[in-house]
Amino acid sequence: MAGSGTAHLRESDDVLVRVEHMVVEFPISGGTVHAVSDVSFDLVEGETLGIVGESGCGKSTTARAAIQLPKPTSGSVWFKGLDITKLSKEQMRQIRPEFQMIFQDPISSLNPRRTVTEIISDGLKVWGENDSWTLDTIDELMEAVGIDPRYGERKPHQFSGGQCQRISIARALVLDPKVIICDEPVSALDVSVQAQILNLLEDMKARYGVSLVFISHDLSVVKNISDRVMVMYMGKTCEVAGSDDLFEKPTHHYTRALMAAIPGADVVVEDQTLEGELPSAINPPAGCRFNSRCPAATDECRSIEPQIREVAPNHFVACHHPVLT
Amino acid sequence: MTETMLKVENLAVDFSTPAGNLRAVDGVSLELAEGETYAIVGESGSGKSVFSRTLINLLAGNGKREGSIEIGGRDIDTLSKSEAKHFFGVDVAMVFQDPMTSLNPVKRIDAQLMEAMRYHLKVSKSEARERAIALLKQVHIPSPEQRMRQYPHELSGGMRQRVVIAMALACEPRLLIADEPTTALDVTVQKSILDLLDELRIERKMSMILITHDLGVARGRADRIGVMYAGRLMEVGKTDDLFADMRHPYTQALLQSIPNPAKRSHTRLQPIPGRPPNLLDPPQGCAFAARCRHAQPDCLNAKPVLEGTSGGSDDHRWACFHPVGTPDGDAALKANLEAGANAGGMSMKEIVGELV
Repeated sequence: MAGSGTAHLRESDDVLVRVEHMVVEFPISGGTVHAVSDVSFDLVEGETLGIVGESGCGKSTTARAAIQLPKPTSGSVWFKGLDITKLSKEQMRQIRPEFQMIFQDPISSLNPRRTVTEIISDGLKVWGENDSWTLDTIDELMEAVGIDPRYGERKPHQFSGGQCQRISIARALVLDPKVIICDEPVSALDVSVQAQILNLLEDMKARYGVSLVFISHDLSVVKNISDRVMVMYMGKTCEVAGSDDLFEKPTHHYTRALMAAIPGADVVVEDQTLEGELPSAINPPAGCRFNSRCPAATDECRSIEPQIREVAPNHFVACHHPVLT
Repeated sequence: MTETMLKVENLAVDFSTPAGNLRAVDGVSLELAEGETYAIVGESGSGKSVFSRTLINLLAGNGKREGSIEIGGRDIDTLSKSEAKHFFGVDVAMVFQDPMTSLNPVKRIDAQLMEAMRYHLKVSKSEARERAIALLKQVHIPSPEQRMRQYPHELSGGMRQRVVIAMALACEPRLLIADEPTTALDVTVQKSILDLLDELRIERKMSMILITHDLGVARGRADRIGVMYAGRLMEVGKTDDLFADMRHPYTQALLQSIPNPAKRSHTRLQPIPGRPPNLLDPPQGCAFAARCRHAQPDCLNAKPVLEGTSGGSDDHRWACFHPVGTPDGDAALKANLEAGANAGGMSMKEIVGELV
């Protein structure tokens, strides 16, 4: 598991973003943190790609590096026929409005000193009005995300967590982006509010035709919102498949362990608990990075890194010994 | 029938705040048998944490408690000052939510583990050390001798929570209160911590109060569940009964708002509209009425009390005038759907979404 390869990338005109062999490393004293090691993925227009994995698996770094925050150490990111890793700073700046983000903590991701209208309309002031939104139609956008425009002069602390997340969504939509990266957008919310935000994201996606990269550690949430899901472990890809397909037939041992850990759910996998700790990302295990905790690991797994391959139509896994049923 | 470990009767907690009196817990009664796990489920602000802290006498200075708490047959109000000192933390112990902040960052693990034993049990330093190592082994921490000399920041989140659990167990409590013990952790780590708590509970015949916002966690781990909303228990029952035969519209709404991994992706979720009531100015009637799809005029005027199949091990009760699954409840829902709004004026379209 936890391998490399590009077998899961699609050849289609609808592909909006295509990330190939992306590597992100952070130098630290005494070594290098291998945060993302040769990850490839693509995003089709109008699609939601879910990225799941435990904390520290590189899911946030993967999504952020794809939009050059920070620039990946190596690899290429194709968007509209351009490799955006090769763009100059100014060229990259020009393309930035196409990519927006929604963060985990709804309150701290909004400037506490500015009013909601200012927060939402700022992008338009920098970039000018676009085909979808103008300074005069901000109220409409606020209504679309469920914020009463009469409250436009209020500041973030006067809103609840769920409302702040709605404001973040409006701020992301105002520049008419192609891709919105949602980094754990509902983890800080109560379940009843979480459902409101997930429904809102689905509606906005349908209405404004954006594609989403949805990062979460919660498998149930990811399954609900995603079309396609990528499971990551220690900076590597484990498994990529359609959302329903992945949950019906998880083939990677790590995916299965994650699913067995969903509390109180009836899942298709046997009961199991992952033993041991996450290995160090400074000195990751050789071969498959999951071998130290995998119930099916063999000598092969400890020496040879598995490559991503198709085990069923549109179901890809990087494992020497996947569970095929 | 086993012995009663915890008996709470009519517990209410009031906080006097600059904005007025806030009743965080309002008339909660429950009984917990030896070796049993009772989960309190609720959203933020439901009073579940205040409830758990009150059990271990950790009420903030501006808080006032009413009602009685009996732990292991002892009414805690009858404890003398010196008895209380070695009762809380010994007979009843607590595991807090955030393992990052519930350990002292400038003290080594051994000092933190041994402190309580030295203080409460008056054991020698060497005995405390031996017991601490044994505890770390019990919570499955590898090479405990080395870990003892480390500082909290050298441990992962899961390891830290294991240390916190070891600390809570140090004086062999009979009742363990776990306040969202796994909320800050990854799902895989969450599972191993919950497995560990289960194992220790069985081994030590401990009773456990598990506070959680996650119905899934409660379903998988608890013998019985109490669903809390605005400081009151809305529905209580054995876990299987509660899930098989949900009666309170709030319990039902809470469950329906969670993405179910057994359903197809893009299944529309049913959020609970509106917000919980302001406890500084609580509603006169049922606290959930404003957001409830069953709410009728009577719900706005009086607070329903817990009723249902009475007492004993089959205890399943709910505080609702028009419960789910009864002719009266069905009629209330139907009437609201026809009227387009519930008695509180909330539009039914918002409440039931597109599923109707």
